[in-house]
Amino acid sequence: MAQNFDVVGIYKSLLLNSPELSMPVAAIQSLVELIKHSKATTIAEFMLSIKDASQQLKSSVRNSISLSAGCDLFLRFVTRNSQDVADFETWKKSLIVRGQSFVEKADACRYKIAELGVPFIKDGSVVLIHAHSRVVSLLLQKAAADHKRFKVFVTESSQTQGGIRSAKVLRAAGIPTTIILDAAVGYVIDKVDMVLVGAEGVVENGGLINQIGSYQMAIVAKAANKPFYAVAESSWNDNQYDLPTYNADTLSFQELNVDYDPKTSEDGTIIAASTASSASPSPASSQTALHMKTSEDRASQGSNPLVDYTPPNYITLLFTDLGVLTPSGVSDELIKLYL
Amino acid sequence: MSKHNELVDDLVAKLKRRQLVGSSTVSQATLKLLIVVISKNNWSTCNQLVTLVKSVGQRLVQANPTELAVGNIIRRVLHVIREEFREAESTASQNQSEVHSAPLTTSSSMYNLLGETGSTPNDNVQYPSSLRSNIIQEIREIKDELENIYDNIKNQASLQIHSNEIIMTIGRSKTVEEFLKMAAVKRKFQVLVAESAPSYSGQEMALELSKAGIETTVIPDSAVFAVMSRVNKVILGTHAVLANGGLVAISGTHMMAAAAKHHSIPVIVCTGLYKLSPLYPYDDDSFNVTFNPDSVLGFEEGDLIEKVTVTNPYYDYVSPEFVNLFITNQGGHPPSYLYRLIVENYDPNDHTFDL
Repeated sequence: MAQNFDVVGIYKSLLLNSPELSMPVAAIQSLVELIKHSKATTIAEFMLSIKDASQQLKSSVRNSISLSAGCDLFLRFVTRNSQDVADFETWKKSLIVRGQSFVEKADACRYKIAELGVPFIKDGSVVLIHAHSRVVSLLLQKAAADHKRFKVFVTESSQTQGGIRSAKVLRAAGIPTTIILDAAVGYVIDKVDMVLVGAEGVVENGGLINQIGSYQMAIVAKAANKPFYAVAESSWNDNQYDLPTYNADTLSFQELNVDYDPKTSEDGTIIAASTASSASPSPASSQTALHMKTSEDRASQGSNPLVDYTPPNYITLLFTDLGVLTPSGVSDELIKLYL
Repeated sequence: MSKHNELVDDLVAKLKRRQLVGSSTVSQATLKLLIVVISKNNWSTCNQLVTLVKSVGQRLVQANPTELAVGNIIRRVLHVIREEFREAESTASQNQSEVHSAPLTTSSSMYNLLGETGSTPNDNVQYPSSLRSNIIQEIREIKDELENIYDNIKNQASLQIHSNEIIMTIGRSKTVEEFLKMAAVKRKFQVLVAESAPSYSGQEMALELSKAGIETTVIPDSAVFAVMSRVNKVILGTHAVLANGGLVAISGTHMMAAAAKHHSIPVIVCTGLYKLSPLYPYDDDSFNVTFNPDSVLGFEEGDLIEKVTVTNPYYDYVSPEFVNLFITNQGGHPPSYLYRLIVENYDPNDHTFDL
């Protein structure tokens, strides 16, 4: 059984060995490894072990949004194919083959998306990006390789220091890059021509889940009438219609609070605020928020989410592996995918 | 290959010299040429034909990149070709055996990627001899559609225009002209036309409308905002519609649309689907041209012309949030729906003509 097979260990070592690998692809790859080692003899046992493993994966990291999208995609694929199994062993083999070919092709997807976005970067333009996203960096590197001259502002993203990573990568590609404070987005918006962000996930209404700060960037961009583009790969799309549930189940446990309480953290996240109706916190739970160990903890107590949700009406276009789409177009494609 | 070259050269030259202008004219000329190219050349596989059409398309598009309708028509034809081959392939494989052949992937979504079996499409399919005539037939249908495009659009006129309304428009658009004339058959309404300097095509439009018995008033472009509060609807023609729902339309359109938005007046755009392009406005000037500035400030103003720069941009880019409704030959659509029409009419592999 899967108990003696360490999925999480495999996953971590995959990411460690190749930093270019994205989380969902790594997740699928580790699940494929699991299948290789699986000694399950019945489909039910087999499915159970995969589900179990993806659960382990999901709970092993703090920010599981894109990871669970990868796991879910693979699970859905396995479930769909489990109906017409003639021979269990050959079926398992074909799953392994397909999983591996997926991992190979997924990387090509990132290049394709970067290619799509390049024409949007004009000579002499100034681009504002947020934190660090592999595909955004790749897009800008490609544009620079096409001899386009442009400048980049990148937010520091104090939580992960992703902006500093971005700046390193972009400067190495010869792109003039300025790091700004997260709080300085409003200050620089007049100087930039477009805003470009990555995507942890895209929800079914075409909205965007991304590193914290994206939502406020989108609002500022809208107010200044600047285009706000998101670069997403469609496997990382999430089919969560019901945002309040989404928030309670997945977003809130990424809180970096010292003494974490799922109920109290909810009222702090932006999503809960924007879709408040069902997620209003009870007075009792607010009291537990004050029940902290030290006064220092109390001072630092507050909501500190890793990701936020940007509603579709703030997004100009999304660059995906299906092409350049409007948020309503993404919504349509997602519904097709999960139907 | 040489059988069609003279014809292609001819059309390329005409496009370059701007002897052929206007979406409707260029798209009909393109279609006529493509019918000849497809029927006079030897081809046996889908790839061969697609490459052939794309190579012609590339030359035509480069000849005048602002005539987006040329590219659109070529994409429509490519789409038809792919569809016909796909159909022929599926019937062929059904005849051979009950082997399930996966449809050629039209999109490479991640899920499809996972589901791909890795089987290569078999190249040695025997296509039925009727394939060529089927493709030509389909293209002729596009041609018919182009010729009857105004009928389908103007039939929706009485749904959009009501009695005693005041309509505003700008420039001369055949589509809008037909639309308004059709509405005038049943209803009595008033039209305000901005004169559209420096081409003054709005004046011509006003003349045509008044000939049809419509109560028409010409206003200077500068009065658009002032008069807008009295208007019930703005009906616009366009040169092209971009993938996000934005317009490339005669200059002055943006100003009119912005004035309408300020007063919350609905903006309706009448357009044939052949004007719908799968390209995005990479920036506001992507698809613009500047014309001879003589009509703005002539050489007779010699003293002045030395001291100033005069430009005469022909088009405006109007972003999609200014448009409320598109009336096409397939019905009324909001701007957010246009991507759907693009998916239905064009193959994603044909958005660029790179071979």
